[in-house]
Amino acid sequence: MTVGPRTRAAALLLAATVATVSGCSTKAPDNSGGGGDANASGGDVKTGRGIDGDTLTLGVLTDLSGVFAALGKDVTNAQKLFWDDVNAGGGVCDKYKVELNVKDHGYNVQQAVQLYGGMKDSVLALQHTIGSPINTALADQMTADNMVNIPEAWARNLTVPPGNAVVGTTYDVEMINGLDYLLQQGLIKEGDKLGHIYFEGEYGANGLAGSKYFASQHNMTVDEAQIKATDADMSSVVTKFKADGVNAILLTVAPGQTASAAAVANQVGLTVPILGNNPVFAPGLLDSPAGQVLKDHLFIASPVTTFDKQPELLKKYTDQFPGGTPSLGVVHGYADAVVMDQILEKACESGDLTPEGVLKAKQSLSDVDTDGLAVPLDFSVQPGESPSQQSFILQPTDGPGGAKAITEAQEGDDVKNFKPGS
Amino acid sequence: MTQFLSLLLNGISLGVIYSLIALGFVVIFKSSEVVSFMHGSLLLVGAYSIVRLQDPLGFWGGALAGIAITGILGLLVDRLLLARMRGAPVISLAILTIGVDIVLITELTRLIGPDILNINHPWGGQVLHLGSVGITANRALAIVVAAVLIAAFFAAFKYSNWGVAMRAAAEDGEAAALMGIRLGRVSALAWVVGGVLAAVAGLFLVGSPTPGVTPAVAAVALRAFPAAILGGLDSTGGALVGGLLIGVAESLATGYQDQLAFLGRGFGSVVPYVVMIAVLLVRPSGLFGTRELTRV
Repeated sequence: MTVGPRTRAAALLLAATVATVSGCSTKAPDNSGGGGDANASGGDVKTGRGIDGDTLTLGVLTDLSGVFAALGKDVTNAQKLFWDDVNAGGGVCDKYKVELNVKDHGYNVQQAVQLYGGMKDSVLALQHTIGSPINTALADQMTADNMVNIPEAWARNLTVPPGNAVVGTTYDVEMINGLDYLLQQGLIKEGDKLGHIYFEGEYGANGLAGSKYFASQHNMTVDEAQIKATDADMSSVVTKFKADGVNAILLTVAPGQTASAAAVANQVGLTVPILGNNPVFAPGLLDSPAGQVLKDHLFIASPVTTFDKQPELLKKYTDQFPGGTPSLGVVHGYADAVVMDQILEKACESGDLTPEGVLKAKQSLSDVDTDGLAVPLDFSVQPGESPSQQSFILQPTDGPGGAKAITEAQEGDDVKNFKPGS
Repeated sequence: MTQFLSLLLNGISLGVIYSLIALGFVVIFKSSEVVSFMHGSLLLVGAYSIVRLQDPLGFWGGALAGIAITGILGLLVDRLLLARMRGAPVISLAILTIGVDIVLITELTRLIGPDILNINHPWGGQVLHLGSVGITANRALAIVVAAVLIAAFFAAFKYSNWGVAMRAAAEDGEAAALMGIRLGRVSALAWVVGGVLAAVAGLFLVGSPTPGVTPAVAAVALRAFPAAILGGLDSTGGALVGGLLIGVAESLATGYQDQLAFLGRGFGSVVPYVVMIAVLLVRPSGLFGTRELTRV
């Protein structure tokens, strides 16, 4: 394609205009301190990156076309729903309307890094970033940019960057909470043998740390089986568990392996409770041949509650986004947005909605209450510590989201003395 | 003992599925000298088509249609892409299949999403018990169907015109062409057979005790690759033996991982490649592969 001189001139002119306009818009709020005509609560607030006039932009690095596309859609839609409500009620700080800048990385780290580079100068914070590898890859850059970010993942390494607000409990604590529940219910007892299937990498290692600590406190042993994310057939592993006489199967894997482990356990006659970290479950599992086994034996430790406890949210969501079956991603997404709202309101109270102010606000929040959506959160803890010590225990069931919460958020007896690395 | 027998039976049931896939590799290689790196996506196309078509057509209709679609896809790849590059270096053709594989897998991953799609096998999750050893009906059936298919294949390979033509083409393509054998047709048929075998493997691979159709299913084909190589890439019998060997070795290594813990956790998934390397060190052309003769 050739470009004529007139086209080129027009393009240059356009580029210059855009540069001038955007130059003005980023400077204006800084100079005017949020504008002289602003109302009382917004008037004295310092603003900077990501706020232009009365619009506050939050970035979303999600997956709308990769392996977590359906989750990404539910999380993102729930957040849109939340901010639409807030905007209708006057906005953040009674002044700023929140806009989401949604980008799809397709679960590709390189793509995500580029998208982040493109949006970081125009967003105040990130409403959510899906994917452990992506969050890990961007951690240093986000820290340098004072970017507050909500990872849609719960590995302990994600609690280290100061800007990360992990909405939930890390996988190790989650596993201990689940095991404490099984012990309380008499489903396992002192001296038992636990068979733990876990992925190689941060996620699996983090879950295993939890079961090993719990075992050491209760005279139990852990039968370890490390697998790759691409291993789909759990026959050999579960056959081994049967031969070893394990009293419970623990899972820190993906939903596919959960279905296989349950099916094989049934096949070899290993009738024991199965306990998993929150990513092990997907509602689609209930339609598999292992569906009934899962309903009978699977327990899931989760940072969020289920739709049966939040019927209004489910109704609001299905009214707004009819068609499709909403997953618990809706609860995750909505809870993330509630948390971000509280961080921003706190920053507003302190009169500083700059990225630095928002980061400070996040670190000062010691009691984040999401009205029962997620476990209570404390972001004032040291980097590397879990923001919560509690989990909901869920069981699969028919109905929206495929699971119901059988307990309120609770902290297991063994969590208090647990130190990561111990 | 029960554990050993369970692991052995599981290994065999997995092994026959690997054999089906490996047989596809070998047939394609023999007839067109192309090493097909796209068997993972062929398998996934098969499984995915069956899942999507079982609702309108029922299980049996969906299964037949899915297998047919995969065979036709193999045919299209051969006719539209490979046939146009006849005579190109074999390495370029192999890399071409990698390209096709990436395109297909990416699209299928998008279509499948994070869901697990379940094929409604009429035999469901039923379990058969042979004494103290259990096996799912799905896997037991896989052994039977694979045995029948492999026997039929060997018969066709030995007695049918196509089998003779393929063996001639594999022996000496140029001489076969001069004798009036249409190499294009031989290779087209080989791709159809490869696709059909992959789809049948996919049908059983996504049934109990493995979860439904997920993008990870395609990775299984990578394990059939060492099976084909250690059997000898140009030996159909080798594919069968290689598949069984890999299946059993993998199952035992995973089941006895405590005894093998000194080799590191998760050793089971490495085993196919270790077995392959060990065999190739002793027999560089694989167990049953043709030895290259060089006169000096």
